Amino acid sequence: MQIYRLMAAALLMLAIVAPAQAQERTATKQGFTLAPNSQKRILLFRPQVRVGSQSTGGLFEPNGDWTDQARRNIDAALARRQASLGNSIVVPPDYHGEDARRVEEYSALFAAISQSVITYQFFVGNRLPTKKRDNKADIFDWSLGPGVADLPGARDADYALFLYNKDEFGSTGRKMLQIVAMMGGVGITSGVHQGYAGLVDLKTGDLLWLNADGQMGGDVRTPDGAEKRVGQLLEEFPGSIPPSPATVTP
Amino acid sequence: MASSGSAKVAPPPPPYAGAYQPQGVDEIGFWKEDDESERALANSPILIRDEALNAYVRGVLCATVGHDRCKAARVYILRTPVFQATMSPNGTLRVFSGLLLRIHNEAELGAVLGHEFGHFEKRHSIARFGAKRAGTDLLSWAAVLTAMANNSQTRASFNDLQLSIYGRLFRFSRDNEREADLLGIGYLNASTLRPQTASMIWQSQMAEAEASAAARGFKKPRFDQIAFFASHPPEAERAATLAALAAPDGANREDGADRYARAMAPWLPVFLDDQIKLNDFGASDYIIGSLARNGWTASLWLARGDLYRARGNPRDLVNAAEFYANAIAADPSLATAYRGLGLAQIKTGRLAEGRAALRHYLERKPDAPDAAMVRLLMADKEGTQ
Repeated sequence: MQIYRLMAAALLMLAIVAPAQAQERTATKQGFTLAPNSQKRILLFRPQVRVGSQSTGGLFEPNGDWTDQARRNIDAALARRQASLGNSIVVPPDYHGEDARRVEEYSALFAAISQSVITYQFFVGNRLPTKKRDNKADIFDWSLGPGVADLPGARDADYALFLYNKDEFGSTGRKMLQIVAMMGGVGITSGVHQGYAGLVDLKTGDLLWLNADGQMGGDVRTPDGAEKRVGQLLEEFPGSIPPSPATVTP
Repeated sequence: MASSGSAKVAPPPPPYAGAYQPQGVDEIGFWKEDDESERALANSPILIRDEALNAYVRGVLCATVGHDRCKAARVYILRTPVFQATMSPNGTLRVFSGLLLRIHNEAELGAVLGHEFGHFEKRHSIARFGAKRAGTDLLSWAAVLTAMANNSQTRASFNDLQLSIYGRLFRFSRDNEREADLLGIGYLNASTLRPQTASMIWQSQMAEAEASAAARGFKKPRFDQIAFFASHPPEAERAATLAALAAPDGANREDGADRYARAMAPWLPVFLDDQIKLNDFGASDYIIGSLARNGWTASLWLARGDLYRARGNPRDLVNAAEFYANAIAADPSLATAYRGLGLAQIKTGRLAEGRAALRHYLERKPDAPDAAMVRLLMADKEGTQ
């Protein structure tokens, strides 16, 4: 039994038949609107950013340098973009002990809820019948609970923004494999660029908006690319005006 | 690999090279990931933050690997009832509470921590990643070319290649474990603790696995064979190798069993409770029995009572009541033993005695979280009389 499980894992790792459908979706809680220039304060918790490359066999090879660059670029792009929306991004005050534990737990809870939304409501494959019905009725009802009000810095802000971003740039070997495989009629994907962003009401804990994207553009290692990436992560952010072509660098 | 019989005494560790910093893209990348994961771990609710316990475990690590080496490690104790410890590339040492429960003395703990430190010092994680990457790179090319050629002969040779690559990866992992065992005993040989004790860990692991299988009615597990996908060498091999690697002149050193028992005493009831909830009767009973080798204490009787009451056959409840009574005899102030006794007696029809025991429980613990439920149970039983 164990042998078959490991074999299956091995085949998955090779990703010879990779599902390559575009996956991008956004949802907003019913009745939630944010007028442009609403001067809301948005608390940003440490974004989860992982950047690396993808080996020929499909393993993730983390790259510390790229991750650092991406963190810096994404933070800067985020601040610029929110300012242009009329909101301000604030970072929580220095926290430790009980507060740090709370942030950790709520970050994990947010990740779990986001994954549930992505798996059970957003994308074809594993959706629950109840959530399909919600989709038809335009219902988006998820919450982290009112405990978020105790997060450090929550009292002085209106919303919390959580971000997750993972980039695996296809290595040269992976790209070569892809080309050769294509000649033989075998489909192999190269590179993984996934992310999601969510806005949480700091009074009620309700998830107000979530955007998930399984195939994003923009090279987060460069400031321009990060600008584009943040644009895609915050696509259809409540109260946003579609950016004019001039602000998005290809 | 070297067979167990011919292993020589493990050499003392080489002079410590000083604080290591990651080198190269892969290693720097893994350390970065590791730093993120340590950041989360440090704020995790499953950490045991008891300063005395943390200082004690750290002290045993330092006594084993030496004070200069031990500066490279940060110790985290996780409340998770599995027999496990890990050390990751950046020096995060995770010690699981299930390990602390199964270990009997400082020398055994030092052997496990030293083994993990050996992985860290030899940077096995990064080596293993390199091997895995090389193997999967090769396999991917082979898979694509096989798919293109698509005839039975290439498919057969692809299958052979796949087996040999996976076999080699697991062998690589087992050899890493053997090297870490060698280093771990090397540290212990150079320390003040008795290295011969290390082999006992695997002896008791085998005994526990046998007890667990026996309670379930399974066949006795084999400890002398290497399964194709085994990440570690078999227990019997490790027990024999570790015994052979131990320096003979260390046999008269102390193993620190008394100090270990004193340090664990405040946490033992918690660790036992977590273990009992795993619903592995044979293993739990074995662990309680092995802890009782130095004499039964109130908390061991209590744990055994809880274990039997949890299985809950009528015969178990009779036994449980007896064990709780023993716990009370050893420590009359142990409130939870009265609770268990009362519940076990009520379930076996000894209502009056059971009610009396529950009353004792509430007298000793009037603000117990389940006080209301226990009162309800007493009133209910009184009402049916």
